[in-house]
Amino acid sequence: MFEIFRNMTASRRQTLVQVLTYMLFCAAILIFPLFLDNDFLLNRYARYLVLGMVTMALSLSWGYAGILNLGQALSFGLGSYAMAMALKLRTVPVHTGAGGLPDFMVWNNVEKLPWFWEPFYSLGLAILAGIFVPVILAVVLGWFMFRGRITGVFVAIITLANLVVVNLLIIDQQRFTGGFNGITDLAQLEFFGFEFDAYSKSTYYLVAISLSLCLFGALALTKSKAGLILQAIRDHEERVRFFGYDVAVYQIMAMSVSAAIAGIAGMLYTVVMEFASPTFLSVPLSLSIVVWCAVGGRQSLLGATIGAIVVAGMQGALSESEAFLDTWMLIMGAIFVLVVLFLPNGLAGLIDMLARKAFGRGRHRKSDGPASDIIPTETAKSP
Amino acid sequence: MSEHLRIENLSVEFDGFKAVDNLNLSVDKGELRCLIGPNGAGKTTTLDLICGKTRSSKGSIQYRGREIANEPEYLIARAGIGRKFQVPSVFRQLTVRENLEVAYCRHVGVFANVVRSGHSPESDGLEKLADFVGLSGYLDEPAEHLSHGQTQWLEIALLLAQDSELILLDEPTAGMTHQETRKTAEICNRLKGKHTIIVVEHDMGFVREIGEVISVMHQGTVLAEGTVEEISRDERVKEVYLGSVGIDDA
Ligand SMILES: Nc1ncnc2c1ncn2[C@@H]1O[C@H](COP(=O)(O)OP(=O)(O)OP(=O)(O)O)[C@@H](O)[C@H]1O
Ligand SMILES: [Mg+2]
Repeated sequence: MFEIFRNMTASRRQTLVQVLTYMLFCAAILIFPLFLDNDFLLNRYARYLVLGMVTMALSLSWGYAGILNLGQALSFGLGSYAMAMALKLRTVPVHTGAGGLPDFMVWNNVEKLPWFWEPFYSLGLAILAGIFVPVILAVVLGWFMFRGRITGVFVAIITLANLVVVNLLIIDQQRFTGGFNGITDLAQLEFFGFEFDAYSKSTYYLVAISLSLCLFGALALTKSKAGLILQAIRDHEERVRFFGYDVAVYQIMAMSVSAAIAGIAGMLYTVVMEFASPTFLSVPLSLSIVVWCAVGGRQSLLGATIGAIVVAGMQGALSESEAFLDTWMLIMGAIFVLVVLFLPNGLAGLIDMLARKAFGRGRHRKSDGPASDIIPTETAKSP
Repeated sequence: MSEHLRIENLSVEFDGFKAVDNLNLSVDKGELRCLIGPNGAGKTTTLDLICGKTRSSKGSIQYRGREIANEPEYLIARAGIGRKFQVPSVFRQLTVRENLEVAYCRHVGVFANVVRSGHSPESDGLEKLADFVGLSGYLDEPAEHLSHGQTQWLEIALLLAQDSELILLDEPTAGMTHQETRKTAEICNRLKGKHTIIVVEHDMGFVREIGEVISVMHQGTVLAEGTVEEISRDERVKEVYLGSVGIDDA
């Protein structure tokens, strides 16, 4: 009996340490502005936090459910466009062009606001769209993929292709989307009497608080029974079915929640950057998210978040000097290869391992599996 | 006793090769049925067909009077059929406790499970189960750290946690020591009556210990059916199978 009690506290203790670590991180990002009175830098850090958020969303689907979504930037970009459309319609007429039309529509000889722009007069509807358009797309795509039992690298290819299609569509439909230039010259976000100037503490706090809430929401999901089943699916998809779980529904759920968080992150990105652009749903960004996630540790929500902040931060710092900018992609590629080869669970896995060494036998969830398991495959999984 | 599972004229082909060919099998509720036969006789394939892992090309499988042939796996599992695979398959990255939590599947809906803790109040029962199969010291250990034998036991514990009405066991004692085999036999004997069990097994000692009715499979069909004594007297069975293994050697 004592043995059971001791073991139970071991697993509870692990959860407690995890929650405390997450709280520490959230506290750190929330008090950070007290030590930094530089709106320019705050804006930059808010940007990194947003990138951390979308990467955390990928960790939920990739790290926990084994769904390598190479189109993660799709949800992000759609969220960002939703916010940009709403803010564009809120600009004072001077910026908006004649007859209340956004300026780029006027240049493209559009005469009437397209029907799908109408709902964005309402900020509430825009925010709903920023969340639910990505979610609905994820459900539809997930339905086709997971009902058809598509797994592993094919999921990666399909999601990537999907991203490319939407990206091209947005660039192509310049009359309605602003094309290459995206949607620029936006009004400031305002709600509940707060103004969110991109270069202000209020925007930073909006981002930091959103990230904290999403982080804890996602953590709660991973700690639920559904979260456990997702991890079981990642491990051995087929076996889960024989316990009576409809695997496809769980996978669709994971992808949708991930899409929702990415959509929120995308909306925040527009507020921070003050524009939306096709690069927000481009292949390079999407692949960067995967790299950040792998570097930080895809099986740790916080690890993935910090991975994005650190790597994107490094990129930001290096890009100050022109010489480094060109080599950046090379450096990033090298980091990715090193992590895949030597740290299959990223920085979080490394810290986990060190902590285990320091504190003795603990619960070692993260396996130091072979590098090849970075992309889940069906092989060696059939019972 | 009422009929629990009824298989009629079941067939499946793999590229023209009939792995199961017009199989007929009927198992009563609470019965413990042993399925024996030479390698490649189609025993595993039969279990695959029952639990939905393989789709049949012809025939019917009725479980409690309901046709389940070619239904999706998860619906067959929900109807009350559990399976232990020939190659132990557990969730290697999850701890023993988490494995048991997944197997304990009273509620399978996604929405209910989002609000349900991954650490269920039934945990106590699951801990007893781990204790029962000798894994109580490994509750918080990932399953990949277990030995082959322990993995076998974990999978048996998963089946017990799942608590299905019809349990399909594919060579549960493979790689087990003599003592462990006896314990498995004991578990099977304890389960029968309440659960219906179909065991595929090569170990004749084990079959003797638990078997009431034995079905012998050969080339995809049932060759003979009867008690251990009847089977060991059957000339055809001797020819295809027992001649080489020897039912009396065990
Ligand atoms: N998916 C498949 N594709 C092609 N052939 C298959 C497939 N599954 C099984 N077979 C073949 O069907 C036959 C029956 O296989 P099965 O695994 O059912 O035999 P078994 O009775 O369980 O044998 P063992 O005692 O060796 O486990 C074998 O000849 C096997 O090669
Ligand atoms: Mg077999």
